[in-house]
Amino acid sequence: MNVFHDAANQVEFDSITQWKKEGKPVVGYTCSYAPAEIFHAADILPYRLRGIETDGMEVGDTYFGPFICSFPKCILQLAGKGKFSFLDGAIITPGCDGMRRLDECWRKAGEDINGIVPDYFYYFDVPHKSENHGMAWYVEEIKELIRSIESHFKVKITNDKISAAISEFNKGRRLLAEIENLRTRDDVVVSGTDVFAATVAGTVMPRDEYTKELKKWATALKKRKTSLSKDKHRVMLVGSISDEIDLFELIENTGKAIIVGENLCFGIRYEGNEIKEDGDPVAALAEHYLGASVCPRMYGKYKERLAMLKERIVRSQAQGVIMQNIRFCDLHGAENALFERDLEAMGIPCLRIEREYGPHIDIGRMKMRINAFLERMESSEKRAAASAMSAEVSVSA
Amino acid sequence: MNIVAGFDVGSLTSKAVIMKNGKIIGSHIIKSKPRPKDSADAALAGALADAGISREDIKYCIGTGYGREKIEFVDELVSEIKCHGKGARWMMPTAETVIDIGGQDCKTMRIDKDGNIGRFSTNDKCASGTGRFLEVMAKVLNVDIDELGKLSAKAKDPITLASTCTVWAQADVIKYINSGVPIEDIGAGINTAMAGRVAILVNALKPEGDILMTGGVAKNIGVVSTLEKLIGKRIKRARKADPQIAGAIGAALLSMEKMAS
Repeated sequence: MNVFHDAANQVEFDSITQWKKEGKPVVGYTCSYAPAEIFHAADILPYRLRGIETDGMEVGDTYFGPFICSFPKCILQLAGKGKFSFLDGAIITPGCDGMRRLDECWRKAGEDINGIVPDYFYYFDVPHKSENHGMAWYVEEIKELIRSIESHFKVKITNDKISAAISEFNKGRRLLAEIENLRTRDDVVVSGTDVFAATVAGTVMPRDEYTKELKKWATALKKRKTSLSKDKHRVMLVGSISDEIDLFELIENTGKAIIVGENLCFGIRYEGNEIKEDGDPVAALAEHYLGASVCPRMYGKYKERLAMLKERIVRSQAQGVIMQNIRFCDLHGAENALFERDLEAMGIPCLRIEREYGPHIDIGRMKMRINAFLERMESSEKRAAASAMSAEVSVSA
Repeated sequence: MNIVAGFDVGSLTSKAVIMKNGKIIGSHIIKSKPRPKDSADAALAGALADAGISREDIKYCIGTGYGREKIEFVDELVSEIKCHGKGARWMMPTAETVIDIGGQDCKTMRIDKDGNIGRFSTNDKCASGTGRFLEVMAKVLNVDIDELGKLSAKAKDPITLASTCTVWAQADVIKYINSGVPIEDIGAGINTAMAGRVAILVNALKPEGDILMTGGVAKNIGVVSTLEKLIGKRIKRARKADPQIAGAIGAALLSMEKMAS
């Protein structure tokens, strides 16, 4: 497990140092709509850019200004401080407008601070609709990305190599799905914090090493007997982008809750489904990444996203949902309000919090709200148990 | 003796309540000290003196408020949202919606007949709409915070604050003072700005039934009356106890429940 926590809690860790020692390139990417398999196929390490370890905001604030999500600002801050100096390239994707602006802010900062823009710096566009021309456009974007990587890194990315990469990534997806199944049981043997660390690690570790480690861990988990969910509230965590292990710890360290599922950009929602391994691999990647529409960046799919969330709540037996959005994250801010309306109407308690990302997380305020929410869940569960008991009594009478 | 206590160590003030058989026998409010532990000690000492008992007489106590984790002698910690809900229902048995404005945050909540919390919402990370906002403004105006609320009734032409950001609003207030605007009109503008922030939160919760306000700001008549206009509903006044100690009362009531269970 430590290998996952090491990878999830540090910007640069042993596997990256080793990878670089072998003379192989690393390319950062910003969004779950970027097909990481393409880089793997070129023997390039796809590294999901993160905001952890940020301890100031002078660079981020200078180029982004104050009224924007703190996640892309943290990425720029780290870049400006040389924390991503191991990168040979970066691709920026318009996951949201804040992330799109990272492209121009990073380039501009690079004019003032020498050496912070990697040699390969690429804008990878992603449509906001998957229907008709949207899918065709996305397929073209992937093909253009392939051409660009081939040209810059002097490599050849064949369909066979992409298919092999899909197959390797799918092994990890299957293992994560198995672990996800363990979280649906009455007695959950793994903490949400550990599962999330393992999921985040998958976005930054070399994939072969990741698959091997994940297999070992999944096997060990299946043998575990001690329940971590006994006398705890089962909650789901959803909302804005988060790669913060400490956010999970904040909730689980109350000693009153276990996170049995998450619907986050770094979480299982993308990794839970496999990619087709037969047919045209580029089409399969496009279908997987753009077709799922699981992020509110995609137009007109709220009902599908609500249905998916409900299904996951039922499957994981979550008793409440914590919804967080980073300040100025309009996509999740708006969608969380709709989720809250619809889930509360179904009798599922929801907590909606607006917060800052990462180093700016205001722990005192968050803790108070989370504790109050867990107390509210306790009251609702007691009421439900009491009414179930009285119904039982009246039936037997 | 069935004596219990509740502590609410907040960012601005710290409160202690001692109850015996469901009745308050001692309470004390102090301005919070830099260390939560010192605040709790001082509030307890005052409440013990008020009740005429010693610390050993207290059988169970619950702590709440932002400094709760640093109170050494409490048996249990509970969130202030739960405590305010419990305390509010005790202060007014018909209350179904509670608005609590504390030193650094503002909360609105729905409660059931036992004072258990249902849906709740809280302000964002910002001092506007909190007791701290009023404290800063009272200092700038050089009036006692207890007097700030009364200024609204005397105002003839209240000012409008362009921003509810505490820092910008403070700059605005200084500008009005320097321009010779009557202090009543500035005070009324401050109370209205505060009520406006809180109203957004209250309306989002869709308040039902009797509404009770707790926390120190409940004593600010200017904020309360403007808030009533903005939400279009009457806010009831509880006479049973000082609304500022509602959280500590709730903590003491939960201590009682714990003793009984």
